[in-house]
Amino acid sequence: MSNEPVVELRAVTKHFSGHTAVRDLSLTVPRGSVYGLLGPNGAGKSTAIRMIMGILLPDEGSIALFGGRGSGQDLSARIGYLPEERGLYKKMKLIEMLMFLAEIRGVNRRVAKQKGTIWLEKLGLSDWTEKKVDDLSKGMQQKVQFIATVLHGPELLILDEPFSGLDPVNSQVMKDTVVELARAGTTVLFSTHIMEQAEKLCDAVCIIARGATVVNGALADVKREHGGNHIIVSVERGTASVDHVFKDRALVRHADDYGNYAEVEMADGVDPQQLLHGLLGAGARLTKFEVAEPTLHKIFIDKVGPEAAKAAVVEGGK
Amino acid sequence: MNKIWAVIRREFVEKVRTKWFIIGTVLGPVLMFGLVALPILMADKETHRSVAVLDATATGFGERLADALDRADALATRLVPVDLVELEDAADSLAVAVTAKELDGFLMVTDAVIDDGRAEYRGTNVSSLTDMRTLEVLLRNAVFAERLRREGVDPAVVNRAQIRVGLTTKKIREGKVTEESGEASFFLAYAMWLLLYIAILLYGVQVMGSVVEEKTTRVVEVLVSSLKPFQLLSGKILGVGAVGLLQLGIWVGFAKISLDKREVIARMFGGGEEVAALASISMPEVPLATIALFFSYFLLGFFLYAGMFAAVAAMVNSEAEARQAQTPVVMLLVIPTVLMIGILNNPDGAMAIALSLIPFTSPIAMPVRWAAAPVPLIEVFGSLAILTVTLVGIMWVAGRIFRVGILMYGKKPGVRELIRWVRG
Repeated sequence: MSNEPVVELRAVTKHFSGHTAVRDLSLTVPRGSVYGLLGPNGAGKSTAIRMIMGILLPDEGSIALFGGRGSGQDLSARIGYLPEERGLYKKMKLIEMLMFLAEIRGVNRRVAKQKGTIWLEKLGLSDWTEKKVDDLSKGMQQKVQFIATVLHGPELLILDEPFSGLDPVNSQVMKDTVVELARAGTTVLFSTHIMEQAEKLCDAVCIIARGATVVNGALADVKREHGGNHIIVSVERGTASVDHVFKDRALVRHADDYGNYAEVEMADGVDPQQLLHGLLGAGARLTKFEVAEPTLHKIFIDKVGPEAAKAAVVEGGK
Repeated sequence: MNKIWAVIRREFVEKVRTKWFIIGTVLGPVLMFGLVALPILMADKETHRSVAVLDATATGFGERLADALDRADALATRLVPVDLVELEDAADSLAVAVTAKELDGFLMVTDAVIDDGRAEYRGTNVSSLTDMRTLEVLLRNAVFAERLRREGVDPAVVNRAQIRVGLTTKKIREGKVTEESGEASFFLAYAMWLLLYIAILLYGVQVMGSVVEEKTTRVVEVLVSSLKPFQLLSGKILGVGAVGLLQLGIWVGFAKISLDKREVIARMFGGGEEVAALASISMPEVPLATIALFFSYFLLGFFLYAGMFAAVAAMVNSEAEARQAQTPVVMLLVIPTVLMIGILNNPDGAMAIALSLIPFTSPIAMPVRWAAAPVPLIEVFGSLAILTVTLVGIMWVAGRIFRVGILMYGKKPGVRELIRWVRG
């Protein structure tokens, strides 16, 4: 296997009538990685993914898949794509629809039938093989959509908001399957606006907002760059009593106060011990004082801005 | 190519499995079978009518009219003489007899009929065009004879003047006199129109429905990630076209067999009498050239309209919107239908020639014209060439609209935006 990046975007820009959906976006998805494309709603994630798939063409910049010039349609045998807006043929029999969707990705019908049967069994749908898609519950249809994405054994999975709209059980099944495929060597590129999920799954991330890249790189590097001066503080009977310490700009650059708990970013060159002193001096009874890595959520909010982040959280909570 | 094949196969298999395809395929031949068999069965059960002549004449004309009516095969006539002043009362009592189904109706005549040609018929069968025509012809002949008699013309001369004149029509095709009558030509042209109009519309709308389905269910997003939009479009049109060819093939094949073997069919319904009756009915001759022409125009016409229907489908968001947006396309297809009588009345006229050359109307107009009268081959090939060139152009435009449209949701594009899509 070559070490060429599986997906490489160079300075890609896409305009739609009236606005720029993606601006000067560059990213590199290394082979075998689980790559998160993060950003608030409307940041341009889906547009970027559709360009990678060759559904849309970039106005500027270049996109390389597997190190070559071939389009997503030409390489569809090697790519599994789960769009954000997913659909199925309602009136087709389950197995026939899976066979058709595999066939247009270059899989032979007979092989497609075998693999489809195996996957349906694996996800507990083998009783439904000959049923029409319309007869399936929504949760089952979500599983079927996922099967259609992975049936042809792609090297690269591109999942656009894979967890949105899934019930907790299916969400778990999806996550387990993605992890299993990633362990087996499949490269996974997925978009999400739920940072907790990305934090658990990804080994590299790209955060985009308003069409442009904000943060890009391996998760560990990203955290290191943004880390080291974050403290998590928890105070008995609430953090209100230490509010003046948080407002002391000599010690604290910014505090994200949740009431019982606060994430504190210290001012440059300040030792955590100084903050501890300050808090104790204010007479607070600490229940927690932890020098922490920033969460992806925190980095996201710092970089993208509170308004965009709030919008993302609201959307994510739906 | 394998990908297009997969799309073709899916369209074909899914469409052929639907109920409407099976019903339509069976129903078509049943109708055609009926078309051949029905006249035979009808001829067998010729209806007999019982009518009265309510005679208020003083000249004996009523009597002579009743005799003439009674001589007609299907009419049993009785004479009811009455005074002119009691005419309405007598009519009322006869109406009771009609209600009691003792009579089908009665003809009221006075001496005035000779001068002003007016008589009145009241009955339950007035909506039967055949019955009324028979009565009218007999009445007209009787009045005609009566007028001549009053002018002192020899009754023998009157009788000779009334010998029926019949016109037998035979069509000349490729320099040969055929056994095909004018009626049969009309029948063939009519059948061509009906089949082509229904098939192009039906299957064009099928393509549209299929695109709308993929768009509304959002399957299209997965499809265009694996297929070029043009692969999807052409696979879809070819797949539905194959369904259309299969169904039309079954219909036309069945029609040809039932025309060629109509005597065998007649025997299934009875003996020699029906076969003889059938032999007297003129049926169109359908040579292979006509069938080839029919299918060529069906295929080219279907591709042309399917491309337009697909473009329409790509512009809209729902089945309901599609039904509205398809109107201009359907109107194009309706033009030759509206003007068909004109084509049939004058198959060599300027309008018929124009309609059979204009690519949007030629798929229906040319076969209709061909069935009605001989068409110079140069016009046929010219028409096919124009149609083919237009088809390529339309498919190019439709492909571009389709490519952009299938991924667009929300407001329907205006003309200016469509032009931008095409230029894209």
